[in-house]
Formats: sequence, C-alpha cells, structure tokens
Amino acid sequence: MVYLDYSATTPVNEEVLDTYVKVCKDYIGNPNSLHTLGVDAKKLIDASTKQIADILGVKTSEVVYTSGSSEANNTAIKGICSRYSNRGKHIITTELEHSSVIAPLNYLTSLGYEVDFVKLDENGLVDLDDLASILRKDTILVSIASVNSEVGVKQDIEKISKVIHENSRAFFHSDVTQSIGKEKIDFSCLDLASISCQKFYGMKGIGALIKKENIQITPLIHGGKSTTIFRSGTPATPLIASFAKALRLAYQDFSSKYQKVLDNRNYLVEKLKNEDVFINSNSYCIPHIINISLKDIKSEVMLHALESNDIFISTQTACSVGDVSKAVYTITHDKKRASSSIRISISYLTTKEEINIFIDALRNNIEKLSFRSSL
Amino acid sequence: MKIIKISAIWCGACLITNKVWNELKNNYEFESIEYDYDMDEEEVMKLSPGKVLPVFIFYKDDVEVKRLVGEVSYKDLESTFLEVGV
Repeated sequence: MVYLDYSATTPVNEEVLDTYVKVCKDYIGNPNSLHTLGVDAKKLIDASTKQIADILGVKTSEVVYTSGSSEANNTAIKGICSRYSNRGKHIITTELEHSSVIAPLNYLTSLGYEVDFVKLDENGLVDLDDLASILRKDTILVSIASVNSEVGVKQDIEKISKVIHENSRAFFHSDVTQSIGKEKIDFSCLDLASISCQKFYGMKGIGALIKKENIQITPLIHGGKSTTIFRSGTPATPLIASFAKALRLAYQDFSSKYQKVLDNRNYLVEKLKNEDVFINSNSYCIPHIINISLKDIKSEVMLHALESNDIFISTQTACSVGDVSKAVYTITHDKKRASSSIRISISYLTTKEEINIFIDALRNNIEKLSFRSSL
Repeated sequence: MKIIKISAIWCGACLITNKVWNELKNNYEFESIEYDYDMDEEEVMKLSPGKVLPVFIFYKDDVEVKRLVGEVSYKDLESTFLEVGV
C-alpha cells in the first residue's frame, strides 16, 4: 500500500498507541473522583497538560480538550459569538475554510450574525489591506485557517493577527489542524486555535481548543467542571496522555523530519513536471501538500483508479460550488483545473520508492483513462 | 412568485450567498421556502437539485420557470427575480 493522504489523517504512532493502552489499563479512575485511583488519573492528566502546554508555549489553563478540531472550531466560533454578542454580530472569514468552520458560521447567520469574506490574492494569501478595511467596530471574530487543507497555502498568521488587533477588538481564531506537527506555530498571536491529534500520528477522538486565559466563551457542552469549565465531560485520561505523547514525538527531530518532507516534495514535483498534469500548489504552500490537476480526467475517476493500484490520495473536500475546488480556483483562476484536482499529501514516513510507484501508476492511469475518454 | 432555496449548512457557497438572499428578501416581497439539503431530504430529492449548491428555483403560477445554481451575485439573483416576475 502507498498512503499519500496524510493530510486527511495519519496512522497512529505505535508508541502513542502503547501509551493509550497502558493508561487504559493502569489508570482506570475517574479524574474527578476523590479516591486514590481518581487522584492518580488527575495527576497524569495534569502532567500531560503541562507537557502539551510547554511544547505549544501556552499556559496549562489555556488547553481545553475536545474530541477534535470540528468540536474545537464549533466551541471557539459559537462560544465567542454567544459570549460577546453584546459587542457586535459581525464575523470575518475566508472562502478556504473547512466545513467545521463554515457550518457554525452558516448556523450563526440564521441567528442574525453577519459574515464577510476577506479577499485573497492570486497566491491564495489573505489580502491584509482588505482585512483592515472590512474590520468594523462590531466585528467580534475573525476565523482564518493557518494552512488550507486542499492546496496547502500557508497564511501569515502573525501579520493577520497584527492587522486584526491593531484595527479592532475582534478575537482571532485559527484552525491550525493542518499546521500542527508540520510547522512551528506561534500561539502567542492567536486568541483561539483548534487542534486535532489524528493529524500528527495521535489517536482519533481527541484534540484541543487553545484559548487565551483572559477570553471567556460559552461552552457547547455544559456540565460539571472537567479539566476546564469550557468543556464538560469526564476527562478522557488515556486520550489526553496519548495526546501529550503524540505531540512530543511530532516535534522530536522536527528539523530532520521537515527536511525529509521537503526533499520528498521536491522529488515529487520534479517527477510531476514530466507528467501530463498541472501543479497547483505554489511556493506559499507547505511541502506536505501537493495539489495537482488532471487534463480531461475526473478527479474521482483517478482516485479510484489509483485505489485499484493500492495507492491512496484525496480529491477536493466534498462540498458545493459545482464540483469546483474553491482553493484551486483561487490560485489558478481556471475552472477546469479547479474541477479536476487531486491532493497528494506526504509525510516524513513517505519514501522515494513510494513516490516512484505513485508516479508510474499515475502515468499509466492517465494513458488508460485518456484513451478511454477519447473513444 | 415563489422561490425555493436549497442549501446545506456545510456549504461555503451557501454561506457566501446567504447575504445576497437576505438582501433580496429585504428588498422585495415574495413567497420563499428554504430547504436544508440534509434535513429536508425528502422534499429536496423531489426537486432534483443535482450536486451543486445552493439552488434557487423560481416559480410562476406554481410552474418552475428558472433555476440558478451555485454561488450567485446579488445582481444575478435580482435580475433573474425581475425577469421572472415581469
């Protein structure tokens, strides 16, 4: 099998899985219980949270555990809008956001909130002048992902934060799901950030909202005090311990892992230049994501053709806009390319041999499918 | 005149078009029905919406006369509304 869909999800690291299993067996107490088993579980959670906070450069009180990024995005967006609606009902976002950002915003518009979209330049980057111009006195939230999941465009979140905070009282939320573990993130410029562990070889079902201590949000899930008051529910000790482990491993040997991805990306791009495809990802994209468009072959057809060769890639995020990828269209301004794009997402685990297998299969399938479509 | 709008909560184009749709509703009086692609599946499937959202279906005397699909500008929506309404 050749797995080239690491941006969709990553296989769990064996050490992370071992931690999960061990904690499941050895820490059976509810961390809220007063007896020894509960106290031991709470101690482990506290130690894990400290480790996570130290790696991210935030305070332990700023880590709010969630089931993943979708919950973190919903908690941030609905939580801020509910809590600060007295300040205004204006929100700013981009057209490149994940559906777990789009959906709560859509919901909020039904409650009377107003959403504006900041312009993007020809590279898919946020137009900072436009952002400054559309910020208003009643803007309470700006939500912009650090990296787009389809083409991999990386936004300058520090500059965006500066524009927001110099021109308004709005809070800056960023879905950093596609950055975490792949890039180093300066959390000090973000008021709220969403994280999912399954993107960095952690367990599925755990993530976090990183929220500045002085910011209050209305919780999505009310109940007793968990690890914080912002998300109730019995703390998932094994998942939290495995989160800390996965994050520590993700940033261990970070430079060499990053360089390996970069080398593989350059190798893949050089190979792709010899094939009958368009390369959509540009120099502003992270090296882990390479988006390409096919000529006269539907992306889903190619996905399944590659699948039959035991190779796994992605097509655009399932959504609307006429089967056209908004992200690809923003960069290419070409509807045909935006309707036939596939995403290849690599990791430090990817080998040159796997890339060669993919390239051979891609070429064979292009020949086969182009021949069929010409009949 | 009646307009049926089909949209989905996860759809970016629907979010973009919400503002345009609300503007039309504020500026003109007409009968409107809004269906959610996922929640109102039975009604939606009867209308054969296809893969692209949002969908605006214009009716005159209960007969479909025009359909707009995907992200639309206010100008396009209003001009279709006026064209159908005349």
